[in-house]
Amino acid sequence: MGGIVLDGVTVRVAVDGRPQPRTLLDGISLDLNEQRIGVIGANGSGKSTLLRLLNGLVAPSLGTVTVDGADTVRSVRAVRRQVGFVFTDPLSQLVMPTGREDVELSLRRSVRNSKVRRDAAEAVLNRFGLLPLADQSIYELSGGERQLMALAAVLAVEPAVLVLDEPSTLLDLRNRELLRRTIAGLGQRVVMSTHDLELVRDMDRVLVVESGQVVFDGGADAAVEHYRALTAGIPAGTTVARGATVPQGQPEEA
Amino acid sequence: MSGHGFLLVNYVPGTSLIHRAPLWLKFLVVVGCGMGSFLVVDWVVAAAVLGLMCALFLLSGAGVRRLYQAVRPILPVLLAIGLFQWWQLGGPVAARIVLNILVCVVAASLLTATTPMQRLLDGVVSLAVPFRRFGADPERFALTIAIMLRSIPFIAGAYADVRDSARARGLERNPRALVLPVFITTVAYARQTGDALTARGLGEPDDDDHPDNAGDDGQGTR
Repeated sequence: MGGIVLDGVTVRVAVDGRPQPRTLLDGISLDLNEQRIGVIGANGSGKSTLLRLLNGLVAPSLGTVTVDGADTVRSVRAVRRQVGFVFTDPLSQLVMPTGREDVELSLRRSVRNSKVRRDAAEAVLNRFGLLPLADQSIYELSGGERQLMALAAVLAVEPAVLVLDEPSTLLDLRNRELLRRTIAGLGQRVVMSTHDLELVRDMDRVLVVESGQVVFDGGADAAVEHYRALTAGIPAGTTVARGATVPQGQPEEA
Repeated sequence: MSGHGFLLVNYVPGTSLIHRAPLWLKFLVVVGCGMGSFLVVDWVVAAAVLGLMCALFLLSGAGVRRLYQAVRPILPVLLAIGLFQWWQLGGPVAARIVLNILVCVVAASLLTATTPMQRLLDGVVSLAVPFRRFGADPERFALTIAIMLRSIPFIAGAYADVRDSARARGLERNPRALVLPVFITTVAYARQTGDALTARGLGEPDDDDHPDNAGDDGQGTR
């Protein structure tokens, strides 16, 4: 498939009681073609907004976002068929009482025959080793099992791109490792935001987001180092000019 | 989330006669029990119907534990209603009202325990098809019911969490400390669920009858 292209994207939202809108992302231009892309940054830095742009959950105030040539505003339904989105809290994502039913729900639009749909759902659950948990209430599953179930429900419709918004935040070490291995085995292009710097090490390319701007774009190790320096308060001299494209592998000079 | 008391029982796989009964018949039983609660005036009849419903529930193989789980959350409410009605209208009327409510809960649980959710949704979609001419979307209608069913345990769990927090702070007798956080949590949950549905493209019109299929000119919905 083609790439994900953000062209001069700014996102602003109105804030009650303030005359000026708040800028969540400011002049981001990126061309994302790698198979594994990580996004790291502090809380409120704009990571989630950046990810939500890719599925059309957030519309840019300025600029455009395209996935495989499809504009996320003009062709939002086509984009959503290509881009699956996994949220931080699987409980808000799993709509049905059990995992099996939720995976079947994902397939309702594409598979009309209920028998075929049931078989297809079973195959998906089996692929992720979730079949024994298929009929358990989602409330009885552990955090990791729930997250894997949410992942299976999204992957049931075989999106080309998988966007994960801090999927490991609510998980313990064991479940985090389980999730990491599952993600590593996926054929989809993955774009994932996380606070888990170990998870980021598996990524081909990592973006560091700070105050609505991409302040670093490059390899995982260098990105993590940059992020550590940033959070430690060491001046990194790395701001991005508005609307500028960040060169890969190095922070942009101020 | 710690708690998730739920009135209706999740589907229990099985091959009992009730599992194999046609969906329309099960719907009819639930509707009949609901209507019957207005018509039955004798508590003995209500008790007999409740006995029958419980027998059918156990016959389905769903078990005593699930039956108890289905009615347990409403027992305190029923106790309060029963005592009030006894005081106001006497024992037989109080017993009839309480028994009729139990009949409805057990009948609805029997339906959900013996019918997979997808089959229930298919049934709701079929029932809602005639309303398509008035602009209703049957799939969206079914999804709404599914979300409603699934949201009850979440809200119950949110309440349990908030109650524990209030207890920890010594505020368990303060209604504001209980109601407001549950309300805020529920609204946040509704927004997150909305986002999740949107991201998965659920609840959108079918592809074959939506203008988006004509090309890339349709304005995106958010």
